[in-house]
Amino acid sequence: MVACGCALLAGCGPLDRAELGRGVESLSALAAEGQLLADGVVQDRTRSTHTRVHAGTLAGDAAHEAQKLADATVEAGADRERDEAVAVAQRLDDALGELETFPGGERTAANVHRALTKIQALGDHRGHADDLERLAGRIKDGA
Amino acid sequence: MKAVLQIALGIIAAIGGFVDIGDLVFNSQAGAVFGYELMWAVPIGVLGIGLYAEMCGRVAAVTKRPVFDVIRMRLGLTTGLIVLVASLFVNLLTVAAEIGGVGLLLQLFFDAPFTLFALLGALALATIIWFVPFEGLERLFGYAGLALFVFVAAALYLGPDWHSVARGFVPEAKSSTLYWYFVVGLVAAALMPYEVYFYSSGAVEERWGPGDLRVNRLNAVIGYGIGGLLSLGIMVSAAQLFAPAGVSPDHLGTVPLLAQVPFGETGLLLALLGMLFAIGGAAVDASFAGAYSIAQFAGWEWGKYRRASGAPRFTLAWLLFFALGLIVLMTGIDPLDLTEYSVVLSVVALPLTYLPVLLIARDRTFMGDHVNGAIAGSLGWVYFVVLVVVAVVAIPLLLATNAGAG
Repeated sequence: MVACGCALLAGCGPLDRAELGRGVESLSALAAEGQLLADGVVQDRTRSTHTRVHAGTLAGDAAHEAQKLADATVEAGADRERDEAVAVAQRLDDALGELETFPGGERTAANVHRALTKIQALGDHRGHADDLERLAGRIKDGA
Repeated sequence: MKAVLQIALGIIAAIGGFVDIGDLVFNSQAGAVFGYELMWAVPIGVLGIGLYAEMCGRVAAVTKRPVFDVIRMRLGLTTGLIVLVASLFVNLLTVAAEIGGVGLLLQLFFDAPFTLFALLGALALATIIWFVPFEGLERLFGYAGLALFVFVAAALYLGPDWHSVARGFVPEAKSSTLYWYFVVGLVAAALMPYEVYFYSSGAVEERWGPGDLRVNRLNAVIGYGIGGLLSLGIMVSAAQLFAPAGVSPDHLGTVPLLAQVPFGETGLLLALLGMLFAIGGAAVDASFAGAYSIAQFAGWEWGKYRRASGAPRFTLAWLLFFALGLIVLMTGIDPLDLTEYSVVLSVVALPLTYLPVLLIARDRTFMGDHVNGAIAGSLGWVYFVVLVVVAVVAIPLLLATNAGAG
């Protein structure tokens, strides 16, 4: 019980850059997993019940991460990165939510896959805010 | 065919240690985070549990004493009581986690509320246990759980880099606490005490005698060997699929993707079915292990081979484990967190569980000609040192890595 309590307490306190970086990494992992899930739908090689339930779980994780980051106090100078991470988490939540709603739709899944790929690594022509790799790099560098 | 049916006890006991709800996720995380680097920890666990399970089965076959009898006899009432309380606590967490796992898997199959399926899963398991004899339970959950071989097939199909795989079996000294957290977790999970409580009591249930020592050896070697192979299959698949993609498998629903990506819907279904029976089997292991422990410690009549009226307190005990497990689960705790804590906390009971077994297995007054040989005796002591080290470092590592979260 003591171990459980201590482990739970370890997550408390203001968010430093390392913790923010870990949050962004977990968003990147969610995007990667969402791509695998969407890919199965695109290729019609999966079951819609598994896709629906699991996409819902991942969307829940993204929403939770967004709330956690939005509520957290961050160290000075990291506010912008935190806000960008929150925006990315919300987009992730939206994309995965779409997969949850249409777990058998191949066209929807293809769109979700593209969106998640863009979110995870490729960046976006409108700017760099949703490029998770770059965002994680900037957080680590303290830029 | 008879020999194949006789190894069901080893398989179902091994499933609890290698591919229960926590292990399924933990093994895939190990592959996703460290690639092939942690593979060496699996054979260490397999050898250790195979060694001690063989001893427990031999002691049970020769003396008719299952592990908890031996613990109480060798450690006395007070220390025995400490082991009992620790074991019951860990068993309860494990039963709750496994019922949660069954609920999650049914949800992935049928898409309905988790709470409803956890309740239905627990009721279904209790009903099966009530009506099916012990040998039937072993075979149902043990052999149906072998659908998990789909992960071994996936590991081979995905074409691993065999050079890296071979290198993965060579231990490396690393400074990363997360790496050592995974090593300790893999070894501790393989040696969870409830496996041997279940295994040795199962030997008594099946009325093993000195003439069954070959069957005991087969169970220990093949059963736990299969458990280790399944564990490696998941790790190698995750190293090939999750590691390069950057997936961090934190949910039970992520694991079947390892079979779905190479084999499509058939792979997904096999993975889900194998997981359902493996986790269901682990729930049976853990609930029975708890009931066996308390009945043997208190000197009650026990055994599934008796009618419920012939061993009423034992029957009530395993039913209570299911009921209490459900209550724990209904508090909203994540089943995966439960199993992670249960593995790490079980290490406290590890040395106190295995020491009495080691002592009695070398005692000629109890074992006659069936005492430990030189190799089993020496390896037993080496592993006892490993267990003590694992017991000392497990909780600090849990805290240092924020339960593996980094």
